[in-house]
Amino acid sequence: MDFMQISKKDFQKFVENLIQSKEEVVGVVKKGKHFAYDILEKSEQLCLDYTETILPPKKYFLPVEETLLKYKTGVASSYEATYGKSPKVIIGIHPGDMAAIALLDKSFSEGEKDSHYLNKRANSTLIGIYPTQSFPHRFSNSMIEKDAYKAADCFLVDLGNDYGIEVVTEKGKKIASAMKAVAGEKGLNEKIAQAKAKIKDEVSMPFSRRELSEFLHNKETHAEWKKRAEKCFSCGSCVLVCPTCYCFDVKDTVALSLQEGERKRMWDGCMLEKFANVAGNHNFRKLAGDRLKHRIFRKGKYIIDKFGMAGCVGCGRCSQACVANIASPVDIVQELKK
Amino acid sequence: MYPEKSIYLPQVATITKANMMTKVDRYFEFELEGGKDLGHKPGQFAEISIPGIGEAPISISSSPNLKGKFEMVIRNVGVVTNALHNLSVGSTVGVRGPYGTHFPMEKLKGRDLVFVSGGIGLVPMRSAIHYALENRKDYGRIMILFGARDITQRLFVDELAAWSKQSDIEFLETVDVGNPDWKGNVGVITTLFSKIKDFHAANTTAFVVGPPVMYKFVIVELFKMDMSKSNIIVSLERHMKCGVGKCGHCQINRVYVCQEGPVFALDAISELREAI
Repeated sequence: MDFMQISKKDFQKFVENLIQSKEEVVGVVKKGKHFAYDILEKSEQLCLDYTETILPPKKYFLPVEETLLKYKTGVASSYEATYGKSPKVIIGIHPGDMAAIALLDKSFSEGEKDSHYLNKRANSTLIGIYPTQSFPHRFSNSMIEKDAYKAADCFLVDLGNDYGIEVVTEKGKKIASAMKAVAGEKGLNEKIAQAKAKIKDEVSMPFSRRELSEFLHNKETHAEWKKRAEKCFSCGSCVLVCPTCYCFDVKDTVALSLQEGERKRMWDGCMLEKFANVAGNHNFRKLAGDRLKHRIFRKGKYIIDKFGMAGCVGCGRCSQACVANIASPVDIVQELKK
Repeated sequence: MYPEKSIYLPQVATITKANMMTKVDRYFEFELEGGKDLGHKPGQFAEISIPGIGEAPISISSSPNLKGKFEMVIRNVGVVTNALHNLSVGSTVGVRGPYGTHFPMEKLKGRDLVFVSGGIGLVPMRSAIHYALENRKDYGRIMILFGARDITQRLFVDELAAWSKQSDIEFLETVDVGNPDWKGNVGVITTLFSKIKDFHAANTTAFVVGPPVMYKFVIVELFKMDMSKSNIIVSLERHMKCGVGKCGHCQINRVYVCQEGPVFALDAISELREAI
């Protein structure tokens, strides 16, 4: 990994030039009291000093709703695949969200390759940033290990007047040279390491992710699932905001003319009541407690066992989004541990 | 552009035969464009779609040896299956697949086979039964146990009649609820097991496919007959929405049924609490 640096002023100039070049550039912007990923129209909008965005950047590669196929209604020979567009550059991704993209990359490329996701992903350069503000629910350091580097092209580190840059990939090298970043002066590595360590997680998982998978092994029948889920509204807020949730539904929608239509995939989530329904209205996960257990096992065990990567990146969004205040993976594991 | 073509893009198949088997189950024969084989193995499924309506996972009912076409029996239970019931011969549909694991027919050569199907479970089972009968000399005893809710729910009635007369098949059938016209067995499917004579558990492989409620009872019965978990093969129903291990709908604990199932050896899933 190369270390480079750039003044914040020059970085803003670079972003402005990028926007002027008519490429779609996405970054973190302030919206009222909140932060969100959005298309940048001018460089001043970019806000890299933020707590956490409402939604993760996943939406640019796995959109809330996405057309997979187009067709003429009723004509099976007219099916045609369609591929959406993605931003040229996304700026300001925290390490947790970056690790989540690495997991999505793995899932959509393992086995049957999902070109709808992978096309969009290949088109984008990802610029991350280490958090400059704490977020009360974040526990990424317990979960992500080195996964963020599997997706990031480069990471920015706030050094006051400058950004230090960790250059990860060839794409990262290219964009660093496009922004005219300079090779790091002596001691930059140490400065970067210090700055990265400045913001500590306020909560943490009591286990490493390997240990977490082993810990959950015999917790399937624990009374906590049922007890905790008594407060669950099955609203799906926790899975809606999750950067690692990639389950989806597939539906056909027909145009007003009734002549043509689209097969779309849309976000879905295992905490929703009908997720495990089959024909004849038989539901294999009828109880909210079983759904809550499935969500935590997916995040804390199944994905870790399958891909060797975190199924939860500790971003803390679910803890914040949950209406009933029961979603926090850290709280759940603490309860199971008692 | 990423070089791979879309995994969600179906092939085109034409309906070449269609007729109602019960009030809710319709038999279909499909032909792929150019008379291509679907290339499936017994027990696999495919995603059938109608542009403008949607897509649904359906078991393949024919043997791979039926060349140039494949068969399915589709129950009218949802939007897609209802629309499929309204299509006539000559209509086209989309087909993706075949997907999933299959009954390990090759590995079972020389063994006795007992096929236990409840209701619509006969549909995927039939692909394995046909295969075994086409390769009759490769297998020992062939026992077919079939249970339907009542006589109106019986599927493939001509084949059931033929199997019951065939001397190299031991065929047992029952209905849960009898009827004055029905001269056969009445009772749930587990009542048939005591009628099997000289059962050799160690040399037998059992296939079990039926409604969710059936598995527990049938498996307990097989255990009573000294069958081991490794010799019991089940096919499990879930909603395999994407068929390619992504969408999450068919997941049983850690397992994606569309990838590691729907056909499982019982010992491979006994630690999955959500399975049965």
